[in-house]
Amino acid sequence: MTKAKRLFLSGGIFILALIIFIWRPTILIYGIQRAGLYAAVALPMALVLGIVHIVNLAHGELLMVGAYLTYFVSVTFGLDPLIALLPVAVVMFLLGMVIYKLTIKHTLKAPELNQLILTFGLAMVLGQSVNLIATSQPRTLTVDYVSTSLSIGELTFGVYDFIFPATALIILGGLLFFLRKTRVGKAAQAVGQNPRGAEIVGIDVDKIYLIIFSLSTALVSIMGSLYLTKQSIFPLVGGPFTMKSFALVAMAGIGSLPGVLIASLVLGVSETFLLSFKGYGGWSNIVFFAFIIGVILIRSHKGKQI
Amino acid sequence: MKISPKIVIFLIIILLSIAFPFFAGPYQQSIAKNVIIYMILALSWNMLLKTGQISFGLAGFFGIGAYASVLLSLKLGIPPILTIVLGGIVTSLVASAMGMIILRLRAMYFAITTLALGEIFRVIIHNVPNFAGGAHGLILPGVIFDGNGLYTYWLFLGAALFSIGLSYYFDKSKIHLALTAIRDNETTAKVRGIDIFKYLLIVFTITAGMQGIAGGLYAQSFGFVTPESSFSGDFILLPIAMALLGGIYTTAGPVVGAIVLGVISEYLKLYIPYGHLIVYGLIIVIVILFMPNGIIGALYVKIDGRKTFGKVDQPNE
Repeated sequence: MTKAKRLFLSGGIFILALIIFIWRPTILIYGIQRAGLYAAVALPMALVLGIVHIVNLAHGELLMVGAYLTYFVSVTFGLDPLIALLPVAVVMFLLGMVIYKLTIKHTLKAPELNQLILTFGLAMVLGQSVNLIATSQPRTLTVDYVSTSLSIGELTFGVYDFIFPATALIILGGLLFFLRKTRVGKAAQAVGQNPRGAEIVGIDVDKIYLIIFSLSTALVSIMGSLYLTKQSIFPLVGGPFTMKSFALVAMAGIGSLPGVLIASLVLGVSETFLLSFKGYGGWSNIVFFAFIIGVILIRSHKGKQI
Repeated sequence: MKISPKIVIFLIIILLSIAFPFFAGPYQQSIAKNVIIYMILALSWNMLLKTGQISFGLAGFFGIGAYASVLLSLKLGIPPILTIVLGGIVTSLVASAMGMIILRLRAMYFAITTLALGEIFRVIIHNVPNFAGGAHGLILPGVIFDGNGLYTYWLFLGAALFSIGLSYYFDKSKIHLALTAIRDNETTAKVRGIDIFKYLLIVFTITAGMQGIAGGLYAQSFGFVTPESSFSGDFILLPIAMALLGGIYTTAGPVVGAIVLGVISEYLKLYIPYGHLIVYGLIIVIVILFMPNGIIGALYVKIDGRKTFGKVDQPNE
C-alpha cells in the first residue's frame, strides 16, 4: 500500500467515524468495544499465520477452552476471573506446546490441505471434549463490576467493555515490541519471511514455531477469560471466532498486525450499525460474511498473492 | 467380455444391499439410511478434493437441497421424489453461480469462504420467517412414500449407487486426468492447455448437486427442515472424517469409511449421548497424522505392493 493510499484510507475512516459519532454516538462506542474483542482474538491468529504459516481452524475452540478453564478455576477457588486468567493462560501455553508437539509439527511439511483438515479435526476434538466433560449447558459467571456505566450528558454506556479495545492495543503493542526488539522475536520474523533461509543462518525454526504457537494459544485463552466475564459460554461458542478472525487477518493482509486493528474497527462499527436497527439484528452476521467474501475476492482479483 | 472377480463381488454386494430390508429390522434400516446420506456427502466432498480444493460448504448445499425440496412440495405441490431431484438441480444452479466467483480462490481462502457461505445460507433462511419458516423451520404434511420403509430404503440405495457410479465415472474418464493434473501442479496444467476454471466449475456444480440431493432425501424422509438441523456442522464433520478414514482420492474410500464410521457411531451414540462426535475429531487427527491414505490406501499397499498411492503424505517443498 502506498503512503498516499494509506493516508486516503485512514482519512476516510476518520471522517466516517466522525459522522457516525455525531449522528449516533452509541454506535461508535459499542462498535469500538466490539472491534476490540474481534481484534484481540484475531491478532494471535495473525501471528501464527504470519510466522508458522498455518491456518489454525481450532483458534476459536482454544478461546472456548480458555474460557471454560477460567470458569472452573473461578468457581472452584472463588477467584475473580480477571485474576484466574493468569494461571489459565500459563496452562493454555503448555496445552499449546503439547498440541504443537503432538500434531501440528508433523504436518508442517505436508500439503496445506492436510494442515487445514488436521486443525479442523483438532477443533472438533476440543469442542467435543468440553461437551463431554461440561455438557452443552451454557455457563455464566456473574461479576458485578462489568455493568458499570458512565453517563455523559444524555449518553449512557457501559465502561467495562473498553477492556477489549484496551487489551487489543496492549496485545498489539506487546507483539510489535516482541517481534521488533527482542532476539527471539527478530528470529521469529526471519522464520516467517523465509524458514529455510532462517534455518541456514542457524535459527532453530522448530523452536520458534513452538514458541509462537504456544504464545498465540495463551493470548487467545486470555481473550476467552475476558469474554467469559461478559457473555455466557457453551462448547460451540468458539466457532464463529475462528471464521471472523481468519476473515480479519485476510482483510488486513497476512503478516500485517496493525492492519487487523483497522479491519476490526471497520467490521465492529458496521456490525453495531446494523444491530442498531430494530428487527434487522439477525442480519448482522450475513453482512459480516458478505463483507469478508467481497474483500477476499477484491484482493484475489487484483492478482495479489494472498 | 471377461467377467472379472471384482465385478462378481460388486454385483453380489449390490444384490445384498437391495435385499437388506428383508432380513433387517427398521432400526438397522434407519442406520443404513443415515449411512447412505453421509456416504453421498463423503463421496461428493472427495470428488472436489481430487481437484485440490477443500470445501467446507457441504452443510450449506445440503441445507439448500433440503429447503428447496420441502418448499417445492409445500408451495407447488410437486411429488416428493421429483422435488428431491429438483432440489439437487436448484442447489447446482446456486453452486454454479457461486462457483463463478469463489472458484478463483485457492486453498485456505476457498475453504473458509465455503464455510462462510454455508453460514450465510443459514442466516438467510433464519431471517425469512414468512417464506421459509424462520427459526422454527417447515414441517411436511407427511413423509415420502407415506412412511413405507422398503421403498424409502430403495430410493436411498438408488441415490447411493448413482453417487458411487458418478464418482467412479470421474475416476475413469478424461476429466480425472485433468483434475489430477490440476491438483498436482496447477501451473503446469494451465501451461498444458487445461481449462482449469471450466473443470473446477463442472466438478463444483455436480458435487453441490449431489449434496443437495442428499439434503432433499434427508428432509423428505424425516418430514421437516429447520435452519439448525439442516445446516448442521455434522454434515461437514462426519463426511470428511468418513472420507479420510476410508481413504481420500478413491471411490471405495468414502464408501468404506461411511459404512465403518456410520455403524460405529450408532453404537457410540447409545453409550455417550453427549460428545460422541469426539470420536470423529480424533479419527480425523489420527488419520491425517498416521495413515493419510486411509483404510483403502493401506489395503492397496498391502495387496499390490504399491508404495506411491495418492499424494497425500509426500512432502510439499
